[in-house]
Amino acid sequence: MDPLYLAISYFRRRKFQKCIDICTNLLEANPYDQAPWSLKMRAMTEDVWMDEDDGEEEVLADLLFDDNSIAMVARPGTSLRTARPQTTGQTGPSQAVRPATQSGRPLSGVVRPGSQGGRPGTVDQALKTPRTGHTARPVSAATGRHVRLGTASMLSSVNGPFINMARLNVSKYAAQPTVAKALFEYIYYHENDIRHALDLAAQATQAVQFKDWWWKIQLARCYYKLGLYRDAEKQVRVSIQNYYYYYKILVVTNTVLNILPFSNIVTSIPTYLLGRISVRLDQPLAALEVYKSGLEKFPGEFIIRNIFRIHEGLHDLQRAVKIYKDVLIYDATNVESIACIATNHFYTDQPELALRFYRRLLQMGIYNCEIFNNLALCCFYAQQYDMTLTCFERALSLADDDCVADVWYNLGHVALGIGDVNLAYQCFRLALSSNNDHAESYNNLGVLEYRRGNLETARAFFMTASSLAPHLFQSFYNHAFLANKTGDLQTSYVVIKKSLEVFPEHHDSKELLKSLQSHFHAL
Amino acid sequence: MVFKEVLPRKGLLYQEDNMPLALCRPKLMPLKSVTLEKLEEMQKSAIEKTKQQQQQQQQQLAQGEASTLEGSRVDIHN
Repeated sequence: MDPLYLAISYFRRRKFQKCIDICTNLLEANPYDQAPWSLKMRAMTEDVWMDEDDGEEEVLADLLFDDNSIAMVARPGTSLRTARPQTTGQTGPSQAVRPATQSGRPLSGVVRPGSQGGRPGTVDQALKTPRTGHTARPVSAATGRHVRLGTASMLSSVNGPFINMARLNVSKYAAQPTVAKALFEYIYYHENDIRHALDLAAQATQAVQFKDWWWKIQLARCYYKLGLYRDAEKQVRVSIQNYYYYYKILVVTNTVLNILPFSNIVTSIPTYLLGRISVRLDQPLAALEVYKSGLEKFPGEFIIRNIFRIHEGLHDLQRAVKIYKDVLIYDATNVESIACIATNHFYTDQPELALRFYRRLLQMGIYNCEIFNNLALCCFYAQQYDMTLTCFERALSLADDDCVADVWYNLGHVALGIGDVNLAYQCFRLALSSNNDHAESYNNLGVLEYRRGNLETARAFFMTASSLAPHLFQSFYNHAFLANKTGDLQTSYVVIKKSLEVFPEHHDSKELLKSLQSHFHAL
Repeated sequence: MVFKEVLPRKGLLYQEDNMPLALCRPKLMPLKSVTLEKLEEMQKSAIEKTKQQQQQQQQQLAQGEASTLEGSRVDIHN
């Protein structure tokens, strides 16, 4: 069989490594053959291709030195940065019921690269968060995950990099429309060399007399990655004009030829990119507007997912849930929506409904530690006790180092539920042995120690928990309660203030503060 | 008329255990998105590859050293 044909076949079947090997052999025989060269480029790109729609990691430098957000002191509800969980007027389960992530956001059903960090409110918090090993945030864009992957892929090739960026004749390839796009994607995704990619895009768009919307979008993406958001926005807006022209032609041809719905062919990329820029500029409401106008043109497009992410980021869970359900109307197998709906049901006291959604995910073929852990919890709270321990066993057998602590922690809750305090104690201990920074376990251990009457140990646990996770109001409250009980009113007052800072609506904290204040007044 | 209180001397004593402290809630684990899974997989394989390469390099170095040592021994014997 013709090796090039075989390579193309492998490429189509997404067996990229085999395709790359064949192309390498072909190129060794004839280094100037452009067909295997571009095929190899495309295979290498596809191999490391990432769906940017899931968001990119926000790096520490961006968070600390962010001068792009327009309003530094934004009005409530208009900024992702200042969005506080459960401020008045918002609905959804309170923080006492639904746990928060490290950045103080309510726990979501799905974790994405963009959602791992979140946006901490202050510099202090931003610096604190990466201390725990599990959510280490890269310090600057230059040390982000993508770049690390890029250098690693270069290391692994024996004969050095496939294309030497420094010696690449950009203007020559920019004029060749057949190769230029593949080369751009290779540089952008595989090499992560944004400056070279930008150079290529700029020359290529010149070569096609600024008529191709694709190149403008790529320019915008490069600007976006380089942090030049205003330039990116300009490029997108120009490209939208070209794009709709192209899009209308497609619609007409599709209706004439009566082929597949066009949304399978073109997607609303410019709209989506524009929304992302708005999010980066911390203008979530503007992003929502962009997405909504995009949805009018492209109903049922993937940008609908970005809408619920923004609502979630603004802590507007009720609206977010409505949109998850809308997504399922268009795409009944969307894992993210199903998981988010399930999480929402669980924390609004409907574990049996959550169980149905998680079971659906299991049927769809998701088979990992997380899903079994969630199934087990849902079973337990929906009073289907026979399944609970089996699911936990399965979760433990599938768990790797990252998630085993959470499984033990949840198992501890089940033990508490059936009144086996010793088992609960052991479970929380095991959670700590696999993840030494598991603040929730420290807090619960503290509570158990308090029950046993070991007040000093309990106090130490609470203090550890609150230093590890300043987003947990429970450990602050417990510490304050304990200090109040042992007569250390000053400490109690200081700590309860912190608790109320995290969760202003917490009733018990308010009561404690009130009683402390009346004490001090009496003095 | 005044009723006298009655306190039974025998019988079970019930006490409702009211937990004043706040436990952290059970935590549903968020599923990983496809992109995140792919990222982590790629990172893992990249780390493994670099480790393998380092091992190979070390082996080569060790072999080189061993051969030079042997050579020097031969020199000494001569």
